[in-house]
Amino acid sequence: MSTDELPAPLERILAAMLRHGTSLASSVIALGLGVAVPYAAAGMRIAALGIALFIALPVARVVAMMVFFARSRDYRFSGIAALVLAIITFSFLVGAR
Amino acid sequence: MSPGLELWLFAVALATSVLGGVLGMASGIFIVPVLTVFGRIDIHTAVGASLISVIACSCASAAPFLREKLTNIRLAILLETATTSGALCGVFVAGVIPTAYLYFVFAAILLLSAQQMMSRRTESIVTQNAGSSRWTALRLDGAGYSVQRLPLGMALMYGAGIISALLGIGSGVLKIPAMDTALRLPIKVSSATSNFMIGVTAAAGAAAYFARGEIVTSVAAPIALGSVIGAVLGARLLMRVPGEKLRLMFVGILLLLAMQMILTALGIRLFGAAA
Repeated sequence: MSTDELPAPLERILAAMLRHGTSLASSVIALGLGVAVPYAAAGMRIAALGIALFIALPVARVVAMMVFFARSRDYRFSGIAALVLAIITFSFLVGAR
Repeated sequence: MSPGLELWLFAVALATSVLGGVLGMASGIFIVPVLTVFGRIDIHTAVGASLISVIACSCASAAPFLREKLTNIRLAILLETATTSGALCGVFVAGVIPTAYLYFVFAAILLLSAQQMMSRRTESIVTQNAGSSRWTALRLDGAGYSVQRLPLGMALMYGAGIISALLGIGSGVLKIPAMDTALRLPIKVSSATSNFMIGVTAAAGAAAYFARGEIVTSVAAPIALGSVIGAVLGARLLMRVPGEKLRLMFVGILLLLAMQMILTALGIRLFGAAA
């Protein structure tokens, strides 16, 4: 019994997702801060989008895991990933209330 | 908001993140004390910004660990049910706890970090009882180790989640001992898995702060950017810096910040606004 039994792609999918996602979110924030020098309000709105992207990135990673486990017919772990998603969603809703 | 303050925030995040990377520890623990003590930024704003920085650092540094297969993905998602539940609880607590107490809790965590930094992590003696792990059905075991004492590990992770959402830190300081000593993972596996989980844990807290409007863009944006750049630079420097003196210096800084947080809790301020 080892994690080696997982079909290898999951590690690679997650690594690529997190790397590109980090670049994207950071670029959007950098753009926003740049724009903010002459146009403060517009720049901050762009930067806020970058921040939202950063919060969404780990959530997207959990979604990817949920889908991957479901496709591997590992419904127990797919369910566990769904539970983590539900908790994060609940946390967001509690904050928004 | 002045560009001067944003540059200062960027520099703070960059510096702490480089140093954290060099020492192989999370830098999130420095951001809130520095922002509140020197920047005189409201602690809730500082916690919100720090959570974004924690997410950014976790995501920025996860890829190499994943490719080397050090990260135990299955164990991570299972433990994340506990850390995100804890974060949810931490969000509630953060809303009601008096600010002074928040400073005290933070000081305690700083002291714990200092203590942990002084005592080196030792590899737990792994008794290879393959098959006798009670959790074989979950297929959590990795190459050369089996996961032990899962319920204890889950309980500790719940606590780590509370602290993460409450103080805006990754709680590596609580996660790593939980993994080293309760779950009995090899050091590299617990570091990689803890780093991987930190992003999701912080996202659970950050989602609530974001929805509440407690994430101030002008503070969080430069912090996040500085952290990512610092994490990338820090990882490259990791092997080149002599460790021992730096460790002692860091322990000194942790103690000073802890003291300052206690003084702030008591309403005494030694530093004026630096920015």
